[in-house]
Amino acid sequence: MTMGRGIDNPDTERLLWVGAIVLAASVPHLLSVPPWIPAFLLGAIALRIATALRGWRVPGRPLRLLLAFAAFCGVLARYRTINGIEAGGALLVVMMALKFLESRNHRDQLVLIMLSYFLMFASVLTERSPFTIVYCVILVWLTTVALLHLGRTGRIVDGRATAKLAARLLLQSAPIMVLLFLLFPRLPGPLWAVQMDAASATSGLGEEMSPGDIASLKLSDAVAFRVEFDGRPPGARDLYWRGPVLSSFNGRTWRMPAPRRAAPESSVEYLGDAFDYRVMLEPTGHGWAFALDIPKSWSGPRHLRMNGEYQLGLSFAGPPLPRYDYRATSHTRYFAREPLSEPQRRALTRLPPGSSPRTRTLVSSWLADDPSPRRLVERAMDYLRSQPFYYTLTPRTLHDQPVDEFLFDTREGFCEHYASAFAVMMRAAGLPARVVTGYQGAELNRLSNYYIVRQSDAHAWTEVWLEDDGWVRVDPVTAVSAGRVSQSAWRTSFGDAAPTGGRASVRIPWLGDARLVLDAGYFYWNSWVMGYGPEVQSALLDQLGLGGTPGGRSSTLLLLVVAVTITASIVLSLYLAWLYRRKFGVDAAARQFAAFGRRLARVRVLPCRPSEGPRAYAARAQRLLPYAAAEIEAIVTLYLRARYEPDADSSALAELRARVATFAPARG
Amino acid sequence: MPAAAAQRLERWAARWARRRQGVDPLAVVLKRRRIYILPTAFGATFGTMVFTMLLGSLNYGASLGFALTFLLAGLGLVVMHHCHNNLLGARLKFVGAAPVFAQQVAEFRIAVENESATRRYEIELAYERHSSAPVDVPAGGSETTRVAVPTRRRGWATLDRFAVQTRHPGRLFRAWTWVHMDARCLVYPRPAPPGRPLPQSSGTGATGRQTHGDSDFTGLRSAVPGDPPQHIAWKAYARSEVLLLKQFAGGDSEPCMLDWDSLPELDGETRLSQLTRWCLDAAAESRPFGLRLPGCTLALGTGEAQLRACLEALALYPA
Repeated sequence: MTMGRGIDNPDTERLLWVGAIVLAASVPHLLSVPPWIPAFLLGAIALRIATALRGWRVPGRPLRLLLAFAAFCGVLARYRTINGIEAGGALLVVMMALKFLESRNHRDQLVLIMLSYFLMFASVLTERSPFTIVYCVILVWLTTVALLHLGRTGRIVDGRATAKLAARLLLQSAPIMVLLFLLFPRLPGPLWAVQMDAASATSGLGEEMSPGDIASLKLSDAVAFRVEFDGRPPGARDLYWRGPVLSSFNGRTWRMPAPRRAAPESSVEYLGDAFDYRVMLEPTGHGWAFALDIPKSWSGPRHLRMNGEYQLGLSFAGPPLPRYDYRATSHTRYFAREPLSEPQRRALTRLPPGSSPRTRTLVSSWLADDPSPRRLVERAMDYLRSQPFYYTLTPRTLHDQPVDEFLFDTREGFCEHYASAFAVMMRAAGLPARVVTGYQGAELNRLSNYYIVRQSDAHAWTEVWLEDDGWVRVDPVTAVSAGRVSQSAWRTSFGDAAPTGGRASVRIPWLGDARLVLDAGYFYWNSWVMGYGPEVQSALLDQLGLGGTPGGRSSTLLLLVVAVTITASIVLSLYLAWLYRRKFGVDAAARQFAAFGRRLARVRVLPCRPSEGPRAYAARAQRLLPYAAAEIEAIVTLYLRARYEPDADSSALAELRARVATFAPARG
Repeated sequence: MPAAAAQRLERWAARWARRRQGVDPLAVVLKRRRIYILPTAFGATFGTMVFTMLLGSLNYGASLGFALTFLLAGLGLVVMHHCHNNLLGARLKFVGAAPVFAQQVAEFRIAVENESATRRYEIELAYERHSSAPVDVPAGGSETTRVAVPTRRRGWATLDRFAVQTRHPGRLFRAWTWVHMDARCLVYPRPAPPGRPLPQSSGTGATGRQTHGDSDFTGLRSAVPGDPPQHIAWKAYARSEVLLLKQFAGGDSEPCMLDWDSLPELDGETRLSQLTRWCLDAAAESRPFGLRLPGCTLALGTGEAQLRACLEALALYPA
């Protein structure tokens, strides 16, 4: 087949459509892949279109295979896997580029269109921004237009009608989509373990912190998670959202302890009111979940559990699902009386030899005054309160002895500096202490009564282990007097409890309100569409009276519905069949005639040919079986009467039946 | 092997449909009960993709993934419905079939009439595995398309079964029905290779004249295998892609009677082939000719009508 050239050629027209759709479907992926992939895709599309327009040669098969291999290796080298959404998406883009390069017929083009749907699917697995969703809706429509165009033979004509038809098809599928979306059973956990790509998500907290290294902390307004309390929420000062606990210190950097421990056995005694809430977590780069202080109970994705530092998470080592929701119950007052083994105690009081000599001296002087641990905590807080400590987001950097320099020289910093210094003071006194990172505070969205926790609410505080009380939370930042909070830090890490008490909304009220309206819309979208998981589904079905626990009421009901439906459809079809037969008895006659044909076939009369009428067939049979001619004649006459002139009492049919039943020709 | 199995299955299904539907009249409206629909290979691939997407969505618990999956699943169902509707209620009418020579392809002209208010897209007629170019039928309109059936022997070729099918929205499904019309096409005997000269006279003992009488051009007729290539109207072919033969009035037009009995050395069918050749030759030379077959004689005559009458007699001569 010779390939026509030129823009007016129908093949070129199709090719341009496919190229445009493939490119458009790849766009969401192109932002996060190494730059050679977009170049590769554009090159392949341009080359293929150039072959159509200018008559260039498509690279031969060996070169294409080589390209495919190289591209595969490129993806593998970049992601170290071909599993997962990012690597899979990149590989898909690359393979589609190659497929486009070698596409030569309509089938290839249709397959490319189909793969474009799949590419969109891969992008909505991770993307949640409303922009992407709008883009996808438009793209699904355009891809459907392309599917309709390319599904036709010949020229692409009647663009408007096709565009309309595509829109109509999609609108007609929308109710099916909504129904399936609401009712299709959701699974509480993944089918197979997936590795999320660590670089793909935003993160507010890290696995380590080195306060002295940061000269300027930029606070991000990005939302970390949203919280909806079932009843009365706790006070703003109690909103400590627990995240990673850092207990390994090398003099400069705090890290998560290397061997992660399982949750301590119920050593926590909960006091006071319980708070029930639902957390809608934005994607993080880690497997952590956040709960209000030490949660008592929780429910959510299957693998959600608590580690030895009372932190919730799906996986503490590897990164998890892009986003998930969970419920938890917490108390803001508790005793975490966890017994410490001797190695644990040693690890939690370890300071690198030779570090922070001035701090050690200071703490030794306090200990000499009063060795009581409680008194020591108070002395340390008093020290921060009485000395001129400043809170700022742009502290001076610290050098060889960061803790000493902070406590005695610079005396300025943000939560990390204070938490780190306080923990070091405690350890210098021989008290087990560690740094807890997480979020403090939350912004109430008054429009719909939920709280927003942003990355700018990230915070670090200290936990000290006391013999009688177990782990006690101490937030050294609260010791800094409000007057010493630098103006550049008017948005501080301690949220509503901050001395200045303000957010952006204080400065530009209407902008703040608009932001809250937007966030409320996003919240509802997230909690009802994005967050439509097993829990929301069962809640909805419960409201509709269809819910229940598996194996309970719902299964019985479901079974009943299925059984009734099946029975009803069987009865209905039997009734319709009976009606039909009563109305058109012709089929019975045809069946009798077919039985007659089978008997004739036994004596080697070839079956009635499609082009042969019953009379001609009978004549043929009569020639072959002259002795049975009269019987054959009678049967054919009866058949024609029963079939084409059906009488009321169907006597012809009855007689036909009798005659066929007794018709037993022998080979003539 | 799978192809053979598929073919057998299809033949079986067609036989089943024949028993179920019976023979159709020459104009038939496609009713719901007789329209069959199955996914195409592409449709099956599409289904597999949607299923893969479902698994992915389940695994990642991604709501938007579910939404897209279910939208595409819905799209598949809606497309199935549209595909079925595209055939439903269409009216097929047998228009006619021009006679052909044996071993040529008979073309049965079938009109697809659309009495509904919406356009019907991409309707094809298929015989065995060969399908016609798809046609669109506008609302209230009608389009004629052809079913090509290869012929083997002279006599009546019947269009015992053909399929009307469409894959219109997106080629995901093929909706079709089998139609069994009692439509016939006359098949003339295959002309013998040229070479044997026309009988010289009709018993009057005329002198042999070898002229082919190509002095005066009289018109064109459709070419048949074996016609002299120098008489093919190549320019007309370039214009219309139809092979036509230029006909000339000879300088003489001595009548000849083409007689079955003048060829005793040939067997029946070969004799008919030879007589067909002679008829064509005589008509090409514009000589008056007649035909004498056992039990049937056509008097001398000229022109297209005479040729047609003779060829028909030859086609239908009892074996």
